[in-house]
Amino acid sequence: MNIKVDHKKEYVDPVGKSVPRIDGLGMVTGQTKYAFDVSFPNMLVGKMLRSPHPHAKILSIDTSEAEKLPGVRAIVTAKDTHNIKFGSNEYFFPHTIDQMALEADRVRYIGDEFGAVAAVDEETADLALKLIKVEYEKLPHVVDVREAMKPGAPLIHESLNNIAVILPVNFGNPDRALKAADYIREDEFYAPAAHQTAMEPHVCVGQWETFSNKVTLWASSQAPFKCREALAKTLKMDLNDVRVIKLAVGGGFGGKLEMLPMDFAACLLSKKAGGLPVKICYSREEEFLASRRKHGMIYRLKSGVKKDGTLVAITGEVIADGGAYCSYGPTVLAAAIMRIFMVYRIEHFRVTGYRVYTNTPISGAMRGFGGVQAGFAIESHMDMLAAGVGLDPIEFRLRNITGPNMTTINQMKLTTNGLRECIERASASAEWTKKRGQQRAKKRGIGIGIAADVMGSKMYKSHESAGSIVKVEEDGSVYLFTGAADTGQGSNTALSQIAAQELGVSYGRIKCKSGDTEITPFDTGSFASRVTFISGNATILAARDAKQQILKVVSEEKNLAFDDLDIRAEEVVVTSSGEVIMDFDKALELAYSFRYGRQIIGRGSYNPKTTPIDFRTGEGNVSGSYGFEAQIAEVEVDTGTGEVTILKLWDAHDIGKAINPQSVEGQIEGSLAMGIGYTFLENLHFDKKGRPANGNFANYRLPRTMGIPEMESILVETDDPEGPFGAKGMGEASLLPTSAAIANAIEDAIGVRIRELPITPDKIIKALQEKEQQENET
Amino acid sequence: MSKEVTLNINSRDYPLTLRGNETLLEVLRDNLGLTGTKTGCEESECGLCTVAINGSAVLSCISLAAACTGARITTIEGLADGDTLHPLQQAFLDKGAVQCGFCIPGIIMSAKALLDVNPRPTRAEIDYALDGNLCRCAGYLKIIEAIEEAGEIMAGQGQKPANNPRSAETKSAS
Repeated sequence: MNIKVDHKKEYVDPVGKSVPRIDGLGMVTGQTKYAFDVSFPNMLVGKMLRSPHPHAKILSIDTSEAEKLPGVRAIVTAKDTHNIKFGSNEYFFPHTIDQMALEADRVRYIGDEFGAVAAVDEETADLALKLIKVEYEKLPHVVDVREAMKPGAPLIHESLNNIAVILPVNFGNPDRALKAADYIREDEFYAPAAHQTAMEPHVCVGQWETFSNKVTLWASSQAPFKCREALAKTLKMDLNDVRVIKLAVGGGFGGKLEMLPMDFAACLLSKKAGGLPVKICYSREEEFLASRRKHGMIYRLKSGVKKDGTLVAITGEVIADGGAYCSYGPTVLAAAIMRIFMVYRIEHFRVTGYRVYTNTPISGAMRGFGGVQAGFAIESHMDMLAAGVGLDPIEFRLRNITGPNMTTINQMKLTTNGLRECIERASASAEWTKKRGQQRAKKRGIGIGIAADVMGSKMYKSHESAGSIVKVEEDGSVYLFTGAADTGQGSNTALSQIAAQELGVSYGRIKCKSGDTEITPFDTGSFASRVTFISGNATILAARDAKQQILKVVSEEKNLAFDDLDIRAEEVVVTSSGEVIMDFDKALELAYSFRYGRQIIGRGSYNPKTTPIDFRTGEGNVSGSYGFEAQIAEVEVDTGTGEVTILKLWDAHDIGKAINPQSVEGQIEGSLAMGIGYTFLENLHFDKKGRPANGNFANYRLPRTMGIPEMESILVETDDPEGPFGAKGMGEASLLPTSAAIANAIEDAIGVRIRELPITPDKIIKALQEKEQQENET
Repeated sequence: MSKEVTLNINSRDYPLTLRGNETLLEVLRDNLGLTGTKTGCEESECGLCTVAINGSAVLSCISLAAACTGARITTIEGLADGDTLHPLQQAFLDKGAVQCGFCIPGIIMSAKALLDVNPRPTRAEIDYALDGNLCRCAGYLKIIEAIEEAGEIMAGQGQKPANNPRSAETKSAS
């Protein structure tokens, strides 16, 4: 055997170390290929045909002029399709499967897709769209969510008062319990729509194989296997005839979790164009108009507490602006209501959610999945309840939070739970007791918010398992195949660290291939902070399987007990004595020798021990473990201008075990920045026709370096028995309490409560004026 | 109507036949296959398309390619010296400043224009130089740390400030 490669035997025992990203080199040199960069010879440019009306019937479509335009290669409309609807909550909410891959006879928002063209270049494609003659019958439309719920409002789908989903969540007897409360208060909060704004827009290339009738889609996707499922369904094809390939993905944040009509159209256009590849790339304007967005939510809460701060009952109502179709709406709403059970011990609870259609862009998943809006409302409300009974916000929370090894009222099994430690460590680090209520003269304040999150969620049609394959080649290189989709969060790196650790080799040996539905094992995708936990466990099993295959050979050759062998730090050792038998390369030489000739291919499949949620009762242990989080913000307010400056953010996060501390910090810092944006800047709003009024980066402002404060990440390691090397999922929880922590800090600084995001200088000034007026009156 | 131009990109001359209305971004990505330079808005708001022209950070999405004749254009692909990464590239890896990576080429090019004239910038100077660059993943702190570290290394290597005192102004004007 003369094959020799440089294994870069660096980073032995990589778990817990901040090893460099496995894909970083390509990213800093500009070599990494994203779907955005894919190009093929004779590739066509595809463009979507969109409704200019917020609500209309399509009476006729005449494509004849457009077809005559030189350079146009294909035009598709609903008549080229099977008119099959798709959506994301098929299992529990089948009636919410409401979007057609290309709408046939009705359009429901400005931007709604009902056709597509492919041409030799962008100019021709744009011109062809203009040449398509469409006859519409305009229908009355409704943009405001409260108007949409009124009897007599224009109906967008066949649902009473435009309410697609009513989700009542009831436990105990809150009405009776409230009677025993010493203090009751009622508050309404508003958390606006926002946009994921991944830097890489939605982009795909579809190519049809004309004779075999198979199709390949190169997509910027968080969930290639979900995308394949929706494509196969709407194209009426077998799953195995559809291949979805995920390259590097320039961010997702929930926006790239579903198949979009563009993915479907690229495949169909390619078929009609005789198999030429078709690329469709959204402009930033299209991103805001016709991808997915965050639900705006009205969140009303009425709760009661005892004098000692014990929460007695919580009641309320959530109205979520869903836009024109359901997408992930039903489960976003469920998550917005039920997350609280992971955080607070509650016996009596009744919150009813409404997911409402409007003639606006479609609301779907966005990082935090309903928890960001809920986090702002609940954590603000908790501070107000604490104040009502004269308790410090931290004292109040410590009295009511969940703990380890308990079952929540809705049957979530909390095992390790570092919430108390998160609160204590964050408050110690932030010097809470020294600062809280002590800095009003300087117009400085400090506030807290807490949260919890799942790692995976049993809310969907499919099982939730992930698979991994670990293939060890005779030159000693290790290939990890995972279906998990790295969208920038670093899952390829974390999974490679896990594989190396379990196999007992250096991280430098691992090559990771991910997210190709024809080559890698199945994985439901990157959402619900599930990848490290679920795909990580699958990867451990695959690496262990491969290791055992190698050890089997060594035990046969050396006549040693198989059970007493292990691979540690690149060496085969006898576990009981610590004796080194041979190094890893030698063991492989043996496995691939003339005598043994054994291929080393390990496989792993992991399905978390969960039970699906029953939406009739709200009960279900949806996640294999749960992560916890406390966040503290210190702010200074300029009462003259209304400007708020964040002095520092502290984030203590129970992540079980940090597989890669630097990546974990990166996720926390990224979440905090996104939270700062949502708190102060981001508010996707719509004009009278439901069009985004600020749908570009000039008007939809994102956080930039300026204004990013000092942040301190405190990693709380609770060593979860079910997690891979003790790790839990993370990446979303840190975004959940940020807005409330800041709002609570503002209240501490200047004594005004902001109930509506974003917190803008004019809202601060107005609140200060109202406060002054009230003080004068009394 | 076509126009023959030669562009000097990453120290190589590229003779091109252009219509004349192409942006530099289009030429880099579509004509030359230099896809390291990205775009996220095509209207000068996101900074993803930042390249260096004569050492200054410039947005290629609003620069006419034909007007760049005679200029020294550097893209992310031209930053490493053979197999040796530029200190900025190395620091971005070491500090964990890269997540999805899509904004990174533009940010590195903006940072390079800054550090070439000012290898030990203050936080305010970094903020100013990066104000045109969006990142949605990383929360900026590790990016700032990486720039500071690269600057130290560049200062230590005795890298002379490039003959281009205008870089910061050019950036803000574009």
